Amino acid sequence: MKKAFLVVLMLLSGFVYSQDSISGSVTDGNNNPIPGASVVVDGTNRGVVTDFDGNYSINASTGEQLTFSSLGFSSQTVTIGNQTQINISLAEAVDLLDEVVVSGYQTQQRRTLSGAIGTVDTEEAFKTPATNAAEALQGRVAGVQVVSGGGPGYAPVVRIRGYSTTNDNSPLWVIDGVQTTDANIMRDINPKDIEQISVLKDGAAAIYGARASNGVIVVTTKRGQYNQENTMEVDAWVGIANVTRTPDMLNAQEHADMTWQSILNDGNVPSHPQYGSGPSPVVPDLLNVPIPSGAEYEGASARVMNGGMGTDWFDELFDPATQKNLSITASGGSSQGRYHMSLRYVDAPGTMVYTGFESVSTRLNSEFKIGDKITVGQNLTATFDKENYSSANGAVQSAAFSSPLVPVRDTNGNFAGTYANSARTGIANNPIADLARGSDNYNKNTKIIGDVYLKYEITPKLRFTSNAGVSMRDLDGRYFTKLNPEHGEAISVNDLAENTFTINEWKVSNTLNFRDSFGEHTLDLLIGTEAVKNNYKGFGIKRNDYLFEDPGFYQLGNGAGTPVVTSSGESSWSLFSLFATANWSYGGKYFATATVRQDDTSRFAKATSDAVFPSGSVGWLMSAEDWFDSSIFDTLKVRASYGEMGNQNIGGSNLDVNISYISEGLSWYNFSGGGAATSGAYVASKGNTNLTWETTTSTNFALDMGFMDNKLQATIDLFKNETTGLVAQDTKKISTTAIDAGAPYTNLGSMESTGFDMSLNYSDSTSSGMNYSIGAEITKASNEVTELISDFYAGGGTRIGAITRTSVGEPISYFYGRNVIGIFESAADIASHAQQDGAGIGRFKYEDVNGDGVINDGDRTKIGSPHPDLLYSINFNMSKGPWDMSMFWNGSVGNDIADYTALYYESPYFFNGNRSTVVLDSWTPTNTNTDLPALSETTLNNEFTSMNSFFVRDGSYLRLRTLQIGYTLDESLAAKIGAKSARVYYNGTNLLTLTDFRGLDPEVPRSGALDIGVYSSQYPTQSMSSLGINIKF
Amino acid sequence: MKKFLTILLSVSLLVSCADDFTEIDPVGALSDASLQNATGVDLLLTGAYSVLDGVRNGYGADWHISGDNWWMDVIADDAHKGSTDGDQPDLLALEVFNWETTNPYVDGKWLALFAGVNRANGVLDLINKSDNPSEFSTQAAQARFLRGHFNFEIQVMWVNVPYISEQNFADNEFNQPNSGPIWSQIEADFTAAMNDLPASRGGSYSEPGRPIKSTAQAYLGKAQLYQGKWASASSNLDAVINSGQYSLNSDYFANFRSDGENGSEHIFAIQFAADAGQSFQGNRGGTLNWPIGPMTGGMCCGFYQPTQDLANAFQTGADGLPLLDTWMNNDIANDAGINTSEAFTPHTGPLDPRIDYTVGRRGIDFNGYGAFTGKENIRASFTDVSGPYANKKSMYTAGDDGNRGTGGWGEQRSGINFHIIRYADVILMAAEAAVETGNLEKGRSYVNQVRTRAMNSPRADSSPNYVIDTYNSAWTDAATARKAVRHERRIELGMEGKRLFDIRRWGQTVSTLNAFIANEGRTIPSFQARAFTVQSKHSALPIPLNAIDQSDGALSQNPGY
Repeated sequence: MKKAFLVVLMLLSGFVYSQDSISGSVTDGNNNPIPGASVVVDGTNRGVVTDFDGNYSINASTGEQLTFSSLGFSSQTVTIGNQTQINISLAEAVDLLDEVVVSGYQTQQRRTLSGAIGTVDTEEAFKTPATNAAEALQGRVAGVQVVSGGGPGYAPVVRIRGYSTTNDNSPLWVIDGVQTTDANIMRDINPKDIEQISVLKDGAAAIYGARASNGVIVVTTKRGQYNQENTMEVDAWVGIANVTRTPDMLNAQEHADMTWQSILNDGNVPSHPQYGSGPSPVVPDLLNVPIPSGAEYEGASARVMNGGMGTDWFDELFDPATQKNLSITASGGSSQGRYHMSLRYVDAPGTMVYTGFESVSTRLNSEFKIGDKITVGQNLTATFDKENYSSANGAVQSAAFSSPLVPVRDTNGNFAGTYANSARTGIANNPIADLARGSDNYNKNTKIIGDVYLKYEITPKLRFTSNAGVSMRDLDGRYFTKLNPEHGEAISVNDLAENTFTINEWKVSNTLNFRDSFGEHTLDLLIGTEAVKNNYKGFGIKRNDYLFEDPGFYQLGNGAGTPVVTSSGESSWSLFSLFATANWSYGGKYFATATVRQDDTSRFAKATSDAVFPSGSVGWLMSAEDWFDSSIFDTLKVRASYGEMGNQNIGGSNLDVNISYISEGLSWYNFSGGGAATSGAYVASKGNTNLTWETTTSTNFALDMGFMDNKLQATIDLFKNETTGLVAQDTKKISTTAIDAGAPYTNLGSMESTGFDMSLNYSDSTSSGMNYSIGAEITKASNEVTELISDFYAGGGTRIGAITRTSVGEPISYFYGRNVIGIFESAADIASHAQQDGAGIGRFKYEDVNGDGVINDGDRTKIGSPHPDLLYSINFNMSKGPWDMSMFWNGSVGNDIADYTALYYESPYFFNGNRSTVVLDSWTPTNTNTDLPALSETTLNNEFTSMNSFFVRDGSYLRLRTLQIGYTLDESLAAKIGAKSARVYYNGTNLLTLTDFRGLDPEVPRSGALDIGVYSSQYPTQSMSSLGINIKF
Repeated sequence: MKKFLTILLSVSLLVSCADDFTEIDPVGALSDASLQNATGVDLLLTGAYSVLDGVRNGYGADWHISGDNWWMDVIADDAHKGSTDGDQPDLLALEVFNWETTNPYVDGKWLALFAGVNRANGVLDLINKSDNPSEFSTQAAQARFLRGHFNFEIQVMWVNVPYISEQNFADNEFNQPNSGPIWSQIEADFTAAMNDLPASRGGSYSEPGRPIKSTAQAYLGKAQLYQGKWASASSNLDAVINSGQYSLNSDYFANFRSDGENGSEHIFAIQFAADAGQSFQGNRGGTLNWPIGPMTGGMCCGFYQPTQDLANAFQTGADGLPLLDTWMNNDIANDAGINTSEAFTPHTGPLDPRIDYTVGRRGIDFNGYGAFTGKENIRASFTDVSGPYANKKSMYTAGDDGNRGTGGWGEQRSGINFHIIRYADVILMAAEAAVETGNLEKGRSYVNQVRTRAMNSPRADSSPNYVIDTYNSAWTDAATARKAVRHERRIELGMEGKRLFDIRRWGQTVSTLNAFIANEGRTIPSFQARAFTVQSKHSALPIPLNAIDQSDGALSQNPGY
């Protein structure tokens, strides 16, 4: 491979010669060079293409005509006079096919593309305020699913064309050449710095070989233009965020009635420390609870608030939050250099009280020419951020079953709580107290991503590029657990946990690029090498017993307990690659691309550590043929691609060997029952030397179409991804009768994912001067497991056991359990049904799936799928005069959600806690048309203790994701503040959600492939109304 | 320019020249190679001991997996779960015999015990692969002893169980059928351990936490007793008694205090130790099992409460002997339904003094903290299934707080050891074997040894009417003798995690437990109301559904589930 590289290099060098006569440059309307533009002497076969800087030189004489043309531009013809230099500026032609797309290590015009590469209309997408730039992908690219992460700063879950592995399905992000699978990466990037986002959906991604199988998202940041005057842009918005939706919970009186009815239904005599023991429950004014000792509790009592209605914990949990974002960017360029810099400040307190996210980031990109041949440049972004939401998920869970009787604070102003279990006020923590006490906890991240590159133009057609990049993340986490004397299970000693880790990664890539044209052939060749190394090191220390619960005192040295190392770890991985790609086009009609990449990774044992990933694609722009009848289609292009890609993101390093750990908590023993313990070890994970690559084979067939003078444009891609050698932990090898080690990773099967993604866009303007466009993106991706070495794999354990199962012939991670087919109405109903433990009137009736007359574990079956039938989005933009408006909807159809939270607020699992008001619709002899069984004090009816279809809900939704109205100030007005332009806008995010899902949020961001669609307590999505201003100087 | 190009090319190819660039060894972890020596064997062996307390790598809440088997008393007639019914509903389901195959307690316990079996297998496998396995015979014997223990627990809990050998371990073949009992393998392990363990502690083998020859012999005898192999059980247990290595502590309760740890009665115990940090070596499985309330200073979480039935078992006649046929018919005075602020008079009838080492009851000294004040220390409300009593044996004595560990919330991690086998247990097993082999008088003499110690121990409180004596008439009727021995086990070993397995091996699961539910209903009506009828299927725990699902068809469910 290395030799081949040198040979190719020499061959390419051989092509290089030129003869000077006429020279010059070809640029676009913004003075940007147009590389690859063709310059032809009319009536001859003499022709050249411009180099990377748009320069050309050609042998031609006076009187001859030169025609300059480039895809995407109107061609221009010039007759040669006596000049030796002709500089040409070409006007852009407006056409879908003229877009320049970053396809990996190169750029291509969409016209010549034969792979499936989607791009984000960044200008449109980033009009919408977003703290995480990845949110902008939502609904913007067909085939890409983005699920909101919930709280501010949370990374959304991004999936390209659904699921193709039991492993990590996260796409690879490439930020100016620096690669990462860290989904958080996009919150470090100022949306205003982003020039382009391309999504490599099919075999086109194979240029990234071992990391490409989940698709690749290439983000290019801005770097200014040559010969551009210095400009500055200020973008600021401030918004009021609120929680999208919360469930209605029982008030105190409803809770009392529910409690009474439950006790009565169980055949017991109602009696309750708070509600008394009379014939009907009485909501007390003051709680009957033991108040903790201590001066601050002197004379305190806990009062049931809101005139006896009690506390609405979800209402207490969420408050409108004012979020702010300021971005200042500046860019410019001379003939020798160009730059772009930015500063961004995000202050995003969460809709949940005491939570939030704050970040400051800076960017500097620059590029300089050194002589004629050399260009050097750099990209650098540094981010400092602070997250505070470590208690958020727990608080949502607590709010879902906190008793409405408990006030937020007692009459002395201390936090109120459950006080004592015998008070039967539940066992949930006071979520507001948890959040308030955790408000000084944080994770602080310092991140640096940057690279330096050098481009050397060996000849006008041959260019060498070397790029060295680093990314670094340093985490400083502090978590102080305060005492909570009001709780029934009060913390007995406070403690401080400090966690820190550093991840650093460097990469070096070198490429050689050759472009030329011969007659109507255009060739663009690239070969390269790349090396990546990633290092992780971290540890955590915990120490308890602090005298003061004050942040100024939160230092490990101030604790009185014995410090404990809670975690420590160090790991590295590396990847070395050789790659080559060739793009060919003929006559602007026929296109082909071939790519091959060889990767060698440290993640596998030496014998299996390298693999070759080839891909190829062809395209035919039929509408460019002379014979093409354009009466229907203005544009018609067919494309097909094939590619093989790997996934080295397989759950850890060193998976080939057994690894043992020495752990004080898990393997030490005190042989004398006192004094110092003896250290011991345990086998923590089993290795598999035979583990090898998981490979995804992607095929894609597509049509790009333009109708009605290209006002209506459509693209449809049909795809099939087949993944073989799925890598996952083999729980059959390390089953429950095994050692307590992590199971070995094994190549355990195959799956395929098929579907289509489609985008439609219509834009036009009316005679009255209104411009408008309507777009839609539709994605369907269905997957099926086609082969497994075991019968099935179960998802992770919960209080109701495993929720999902993965088996051959079914999609990955479907819901599996007993099927509730109704509620028993009568003794006769029970008698005529299969024998069922816990059967009773008003109780669930399970389907006797295997027909053996007994309901047991053999009657579990598929009861739902988390995979949507269709994802769609609709986009509407219009502008007239100074006004512009855009509206963006997206939705999901046909997916199920397993609402695990229902265990907390729709079942008596925690009997003294609260329920959602849906339990008011519980079964009674007169209310039989319901999915909720009769109220009960316990879960002893085998209803809520194992997975069944009660937990499975329709997860379809439609959301008004954005509504934006903007007004651009009159230029003369803008000039008064020294600006070139100014625009003010209103933006609404998530203003409306239509769904039947009765949980908190139909958007379920789960990153694990075996628990897709499982809803457990999480930070719900926020809605926001904001006002913003954008000023350009 | 050509030079420049050459330099660039050299740089570009530089990284590829390092052939080992993509070979990275793990950092900070032990590979198999680094364990192939004496240090490695000792490390893994210690790791195998470490899981005696149930705390393993991965899933299983501490209280599900506890090595002290506290919740096995909850599904027998010794204990109620404690706290309110809604707290740990999975344990409520177990307590009232609504046994689902997904219960996380059952799953967690299964995982913990197989972790133990296989950590022991890992030691044996490592020794087998060493250059000179005989060099490690003591370590191998300890590993086999531990494996015997874990397998014994698996056997008595699930009955139809798989056996995982060190060869299965080496081959990663963990899916073995659960076709039946594995007693022969258990006996083989204890026999092998007996042969290769030192006869006594001393020198480099002095730590009380490690078994010696007689420890293995006692466990072998126990395993034989559980199978009804009375003669061999008798011979092995007698041998332990006659070894002269053990004697009963003169103070019964010293067995349950840190100052009495590893005393003359210690045979094999989980060695617990608490410290001022996280108390990793404390009893994490018992973290919920502390009385709440002001008496003991705000502990958590009120679990593991003795039953009325257990308290009743301590009733004696005027002759100081248990009421073998009638104890269950009358309830000793109790404060069920009575608040701390309300008056209460403790039971005035004659009682075995061991009641007040075992059952914390209103008005009687509670481990030195003063007279137990009843309800305010009990988390369960009057309508919950758990009654008015508190556990004493796993609770500290006042002044022993130095042995109190700290956990995350109000729970504690105790440093008090838990007896897997103590000498009194051996004597009573020997008594049982004697009775079953027709040596009734030998049985009587053994039982009397235990009763004599109880008679002579310091009293827990001065006020109750303690009346206790030895069996002074010859035992002539085997059925009566059997009844006496079995009853003695209950009151000597109450709240020590043994009762369930005694009932099971005596074939009394259905009869004893259904009678218990009915009798208990007199004091705790809600318990009787909630309880399901005990059936023969309850003689074995269900095989966890999680285990069956992951076994690729190797495991089948126990009958009735």
